[in-house]
Amino acid sequence: MGLLTTVTFLPLIGAIIILFIPKEKVAVIRGSAIFTTFATFVVSLFLYAGFDPSLVGDGVPVMQFTERYEWIATFNVFYAMGIDGLSLPIIILTTLICFLASIYSVSIKERVKEFFFWYLLLEVGMVGVFCATDLFLFYLFWELTLVPMYFLIGVWGGPRKEYAAIKFFLFTLVGSVFMLLAIIAVYFAPNSGTFDMLKLMEINSSWSRNFQIVAFIGFYLGLSVKIPAFPFHTWLPLAHVEAPTPVSVILASVLLKMGCYGLLRICYSILPAGFEWFLPYFIIIAFINIVYGALCAMAQTDMKKMIAYSSINHMGYCLLGMAAVSSTGFNGAVLQMINHGIITGALFLLVGVLYDRAHTRDISAFGGLGAKVPVYAALMVLTCFASLGLPGLAGFVSEFMCFLGAFPVWKMWTILSVAGILITAAFFLRMIQKVFLGPLNEKWADLPDINTRELLAIGPLAVLTVLFGVWPKLILDITNPTVTALAEMHSTIFKYLH
Amino acid sequence: MLEHAYLIPIIPFVTSLVILLGGKEGKDSKMPYLGIAAMGWCFLQSSVLFFRALSGRMPLEAGKEFFLHQRFPWLEWGENLRINVGVLVDGPAVTLLFVVTLVSLLVQIYSLGYMHDDKRKKRYYAYLSFFTASMLGLVIASSIFILFACWELVGVSSYLLIGFWFEKPGPAYASKKAFITTKLADCGFYVGLLILFCYAGTFDLVSLKSYIAQGLLPVEVAKAVGIGFLIGAIGKSAQIPLFIWLPDAMEGPTPVSALIHAATMVVAGIYLVARTYFIFTAAPTTMGAVAWVGLFTAFFAATMAITAYDIKKVLAYSTVSQLGYMMLGLGVYGYTAALFHLTTHAFFKALLFLGAGSVIHAVHTNDMREMGGLYKRMPTTAATVGIATLTIAGLPLLSGWWSKEAILHDVYAVSPGMWVVAVFTAGLTAFYMSRMYVLTFLGAPRNEEKHSHAHESPLTMKIPLWTLAVLSLFAGGILHYNGLFEHLVHFKLPEGSHGSHHAPAYLLPGAAIFVFAVGVGLAYKLYSGSLETAQQLRGKLSIAAETLEQRYYFDDFFLGLVKLSDKLATACYWIDSRIIDAIFIDGWALVLRALAAVNDFIDSFIVDGAVDGVGTITQDAGWGLRKLVRGQVQEYLLYVSLAVAVFATFMLSR
Amino acid sequence: MTLLHYLTVSGILFVIGLFGALTRRNTIGILMSIELMFNAANLNLIAFNRFLYPERLDGNVITLFIIGVAAAEAVVGLALVVTIYRNLNTIYSEDFNLLKG
Repeated sequence: MGLLTTVTFLPLIGAIIILFIPKEKVAVIRGSAIFTTFATFVVSLFLYAGFDPSLVGDGVPVMQFTERYEWIATFNVFYAMGIDGLSLPIIILTTLICFLASIYSVSIKERVKEFFFWYLLLEVGMVGVFCATDLFLFYLFWELTLVPMYFLIGVWGGPRKEYAAIKFFLFTLVGSVFMLLAIIAVYFAPNSGTFDMLKLMEINSSWSRNFQIVAFIGFYLGLSVKIPAFPFHTWLPLAHVEAPTPVSVILASVLLKMGCYGLLRICYSILPAGFEWFLPYFIIIAFINIVYGALCAMAQTDMKKMIAYSSINHMGYCLLGMAAVSSTGFNGAVLQMINHGIITGALFLLVGVLYDRAHTRDISAFGGLGAKVPVYAALMVLTCFASLGLPGLAGFVSEFMCFLGAFPVWKMWTILSVAGILITAAFFLRMIQKVFLGPLNEKWADLPDINTRELLAIGPLAVLTVLFGVWPKLILDITNPTVTALAEMHSTIFKYLH
Repeated sequence: MLEHAYLIPIIPFVTSLVILLGGKEGKDSKMPYLGIAAMGWCFLQSSVLFFRALSGRMPLEAGKEFFLHQRFPWLEWGENLRINVGVLVDGPAVTLLFVVTLVSLLVQIYSLGYMHDDKRKKRYYAYLSFFTASMLGLVIASSIFILFACWELVGVSSYLLIGFWFEKPGPAYASKKAFITTKLADCGFYVGLLILFCYAGTFDLVSLKSYIAQGLLPVEVAKAVGIGFLIGAIGKSAQIPLFIWLPDAMEGPTPVSALIHAATMVVAGIYLVARTYFIFTAAPTTMGAVAWVGLFTAFFAATMAITAYDIKKVLAYSTVSQLGYMMLGLGVYGYTAALFHLTTHAFFKALLFLGAGSVIHAVHTNDMREMGGLYKRMPTTAATVGIATLTIAGLPLLSGWWSKEAILHDVYAVSPGMWVVAVFTAGLTAFYMSRMYVLTFLGAPRNEEKHSHAHESPLTMKIPLWTLAVLSLFAGGILHYNGLFEHLVHFKLPEGSHGSHHAPAYLLPGAAIFVFAVGVGLAYKLYSGSLETAQQLRGKLSIAAETLEQRYYFDDFFLGLVKLSDKLATACYWIDSRIIDAIFIDGWALVLRALAAVNDFIDSFIVDGAVDGVGTITQDAGWGLRKLVRGQVQEYLLYVSLAVAVFATFMLSR
Repeated sequence: MTLLHYLTVSGILFVIGLFGALTRRNTIGILMSIELMFNAANLNLIAFNRFLYPERLDGNVITLFIIGVAAAEAVVGLALVVTIYRNLNTIYSEDFNLLKG
């Protein structure tokens, strides 16, 4: 059994084991769930150890750790997995975030068994999406994330959980339906008859431009909901606010990346002409995501909602980088995915910590906490600064590279998008001021500082934030060869950009 | 020493981490001494570099204009793109290294006394070290990208230090304002960086310089980049119109104001323009812009200082005004003069702030109307601040005189009209600085209670005061002597860009001495007695005074902008939740539900009705037929037999 | 003895059985009458086999089957009767009308 299959299905084994543990034994359930996610993380590190970043071919990406078994022979469906420099960092991010969030999940007190069952099942789907190199398999894993997420939000969520869960479910499902149609269309396209992504990347040149555009729209509708790109983003603030903390973390850190990853892996690689046709609109969507998302965030009084909107803003940077169709932009976008995963994951955990204590997330309900909870305040300030793009912390380099990539192609939109940086700074600083600075609000005079469990979950993310800020090469060295080859792959189609 | 110049920013950085994470917080924390020791080392190293460079004993790299250029790739991507990290040590850099480490060291020593009973001393020193580290990084960065990174980091340390007493609403607000205002300007810097990289493909200062020297960068691009960088500098160096954050930044501890908001961080903008001077000189339009920004700032800030009664605010406006001078100097091709003024200004302005801190420490107020006559109580402070006041006011042969004259000389060469305004501003400077000094130290005490409690500061605060006083007195003269400074810091201008006006030999110094005398004399006359004359004058000119006190309403303008963006944000959110989400997304759901209702109607009344109808008929028939069925099996059998018999008969008889 | 004799006997037998099945009140009697009708049919089958296709065995075989089935049917029927008796305390057919519509 290959390493990728192991990483993908290890959580499933954990989930099945949990099913056999009596539901009263909460500690055992938690322990085995945390152990499973930890084991998965460790195994994913083996991927990192055995990965050779310099392996790139001419044109189509060269996959490593490949596995390929016939699955449904009639339809030419294969159980095909493989990773390259694009997916490896995201897979490690996924397993890491799942591990840390599972530590934090100890705060879940009711229906623990079911929670962790769904949680682990979700991890299977997420890791699988990034491993699959067969469209059919990809779609299967894609849909597999949906159901656990629905229950995780709908059962363990906040006051409007049912509404949020249904909205999330329907939104993504509708998108997925279009994606399914597009997958089928690609299957029946000339010379095709296969679901193999790599093969499709080769044969797409024989497809007409119009066909590519139509198929692109199908994929885009499915993927843009997950990113989320304007105007399909409205499920996100709601789902984030209602979801329990660990689920919010996963939602922001990993689920959103599925959309961006799909854009690069499928939309760009398989349907370059469609992508090219869409670029002028794409850059506008990126701009709207950045500035409009930031403005919406500024109007929020609920911390979680604010961070949710800031996610929309940050994914806008990813889109901006992708719109560049250059090595700089793509590298920036991938880096931004990772960094956003780390930073926003930490932000949601931190907000969760405060919410667990104060049972409110209203920014103006606090004040002067800086003196009361210094460690918490320090972590929060650090993460906020990382999120607003302070040099030396993770977010800055990736943002800068996205801008740097996009500027030569889309000068005006890029310059306009710079406003997003200012607005981001404004709302984060306002939040810091209202929550931590000023005179202490006497209501919170007994607020305890962050505890060990929470520190265990958040600390590693804070460390990574600094590490990747100071030494971004750690990620870039993995992604760069693949991503550069990716940017070159369709250079004939995107000639006018360079 | 030279090849390990990178240690200069790294040592304080590590120190700040050690201070922050190690040891115990509290009044008695021993960590400050660690910070001072580290700073002492940096100062030592920097001054060795500085004096060796000054005396010409440090060799330039062969055929180049710098002493040392080390770099290694920090980020590599694409086919051949990279961003390097490294140090570039040249004349301006060693000068700034010396100034920054010196002032940092003195401020840290001074803070021992000033902050001696603050309960977060450890954190304070960690922040100070962190600031110094980022500032030193900014100074010796070899690439504009790293310069920008450090630029942002000094912004953050400024944010943290302004808001050091964050329990008070004032500092909390001021720190945010400072950060956002400079961030606004940084957007310009950011765009400049993007444009620059797009065309030149590198951020390395040395490569860029040769790139531009070869004329590869189109003038239009150079102009755009220059304007972008200038906007960044306007924010950081508190030029008009973005100076608004600096007066508010005075909410921070006074030693911080001395270090960050007088001597070092605020000159980063000037330093940026100087560092990228080759871009500015490549596009003459931008030079004009730099000059005008500087001139406006110098003049308007000086007028604002006239009416202020808060001692730190006066100094803040004065800082803004002096930064304007430097900017003006750069704009009129006075590269050396501007950096010279930067150096001397760092000494006397730091001294002024530290002196003001000493006063505030003694009387616990910032309001000069409650001071007066303090020279008796605090002789050291009065003497040193007096020296600094005379220096900034422009008493001939003191440090400030030399550097200011150098700038005015270059201004005259380009435009005598600008020169007139600049000289008038010099007069204003002499006036408001003397006013501050007179109000604080001379005359009769206006608040007896505060006066009686005032006392001279401890030794840790006196040492920095005297050191800086000595420098204020002599540094200018020494550096000016034999063109020492010019030898160290100069820029080879492109042909034909020098100014062409030549003033009569006596005019420049004569005018300067004249405005100095008038300014000082006027201030002494107006403020040495009671404040009544001044108040009456203010009454007569109330509109003008009001405008000055409101800082020409720049704050209101930007507050309006903030409110506008808040409204915009609310509007966006309204659109998001009420239109996009409610109409386009949930609207679809509503439409679907309406469709479903119609469908339900059709289904239940028509389709289901038909089906039910069949059912009903069948049922009715059944009700009728059930009468036949009485449950007697034998009866059924009879029917069966009869039927069989009938059929059999029928079939057989055919 | 010709085929006609046999058929006459079996006809009479069948009519007796039918009459009994229709008129008996006792359920056991009805069952016995049904057995009579079975046997009439058996007689027919044997007779036809014997006179029309003497070389073949189909009729005999089917008769044997019918005897088997009849035995089984009698068993089930009697079991039903016993159950009915236990529940309703009667075996007269007009007393149970659960099938009444």
